[in-house]
Amino acid sequence: MAMLADRRRMNAPPGGTSPPVFASLPEAKLTKPIRTRNPDEHRKIFLRTGVVPSASGSAYYEISPSNTPRQTLVPSSSSLKITCTVHGPRPLPRNAAFSSNLLLTTHVKFAPFATRQRRGYVRDSSERDLGVHLETALRGVVIGDRWPKSGCEVVITVLEGEEDGWWADAEEGGKAGSWGMMNVLAGCITVASAAIADAGVDCVDLVSGGVAALTAERNGEGVLDPCPSEHDIKAACVVGYLQSRDEVTEMWMKGDAGSGSEALIDNAVKAAVLTRTVLAEAVKEATEMKIGKTSEAAVETTNTGKGKTKDIQMTG
Amino acid sequence: MSGPNIALPGQILGASSSNELGSGTHLHNDQLCASISGPILTSKPSNSSKTSKAPKLSISRTTGNLLPEVGTTILGKITRTNPRQANISILALGPTGEHVCRDPFPAIIRQQDIRATEIDKVKVAESFRVGDVVRAVVISLGDERSYYLSTAKNELGVVMAVSEWGNQMVPVSWREFMDESTGAREARKVAKPV
Repeated sequence: MAMLADRRRMNAPPGGTSPPVFASLPEAKLTKPIRTRNPDEHRKIFLRTGVVPSASGSAYYEISPSNTPRQTLVPSSSSLKITCTVHGPRPLPRNAAFSSNLLLTTHVKFAPFATRQRRGYVRDSSERDLGVHLETALRGVVIGDRWPKSGCEVVITVLEGEEDGWWADAEEGGKAGSWGMMNVLAGCITVASAAIADAGVDCVDLVSGGVAALTAERNGEGVLDPCPSEHDIKAACVVGYLQSRDEVTEMWMKGDAGSGSEALIDNAVKAAVLTRTVLAEAVKEATEMKIGKTSEAAVETTNTGKGKTKDIQMTG
Repeated sequence: MSGPNIALPGQILGASSSNELGSGTHLHNDQLCASISGPILTSKPSNSSKTSKAPKLSISRTTGNLLPEVGTTILGKITRTNPRQANISILALGPTGEHVCRDPFPAIIRQQDIRATEIDKVKVAESFRVGDVVRAVVISLGDERSYYLSTAKNELGVVMAVSEWGNQMVPVSWREFMDESTGAREARKVAKPV
């Protein structure tokens, strides 16, 4: 990884650190994980908003790994873990020019320990790329003209990234088709949408991300939510989809889909519809909790606020 | 809480012909849609108006108002003064500061907006000092940086002030605060205590 030297921190050795490899049972054999769920089935998602109290909106997203029995200590595939914080709407910095719309900025950063190959502290090109993709996805949903003179910052930290292939397959891991990025982007879109809703920024809809892929096995059949370590992916597509308007705000296709590209997009939309059910449920749950809290607070203030409200005579 | 109707962003609330557009909603294809998540509020139109208006649908903001708008009462702190204006940073929204801003918003009180009467005789230095806590109302979104505020009402003006010696002062008249320990009086645009 070509990276500029970071002079502000104590840097780790350039080769990165590798986790210890424990000897497994002699009869243990590493087997490539196999997809056990249906082609049109999504992995289970955990999504919760309001996890960072200091931010105006925040959310945490996790995809649980498939719990296939394994004989080694190292899990056969990683699980995706993303946190998102939204700061804003807040006033623009002093040197910024006037803007009658909300200025949306997105930052995506992998934690240094997020992937098997250690990441740097400075954002690299793939992270900046993800940030741009995410910004396009969100720009289409946020109603910017309700927030004049203010900015909104969406900061995403990927705590555990999706792998690009099966880790034990050395050349596949090295091949780095960066298929894992597609899953990360879909997760980023969903978690950012939840965090923005939590912050109370006006949106035309909830945007959810979905991934679909064409795989070499099953003679080119499309699968929803491909786990890169389980498949030999030929082409993949991410969409940011608004279900209630039937609109796509962001699309990223990779690989050679040939004539199947349209079906691939349709599948990605299907995956986005599946993630949206989780997203809507999480946002609703958080709103219900907030209403409960505010009504409690209202009761308290009505109890305490009924103090003496005598008018004070002033002279002068 | 017996389950109020909660809307999610993008949820269709009804046809725009039979409903009035309230806050937290937007129009899409002649349909009224929610744009934030929160309980749906339906306000009945007043019966006194001759034209029978449609009920107004709005979504109440669970986070409270996020930005100051024209007409919002705010609490803020004076950051600097000069003969023409006083700079202030808005710290909380609402007459009693119900919603505390996460980031202070920069704002300006111009000399002519300090008092309702004799506005040409107002002196900024005799109305505000740096560090005063002021209740004011937003009169305009202002220029690229600052909101414009006004204190031209009885209940608006300085609510808390510290004397030159650093003691908390109490209001003694419409235009004076007094330091109780030294007895010194300082000129301010005093807000009527509420």
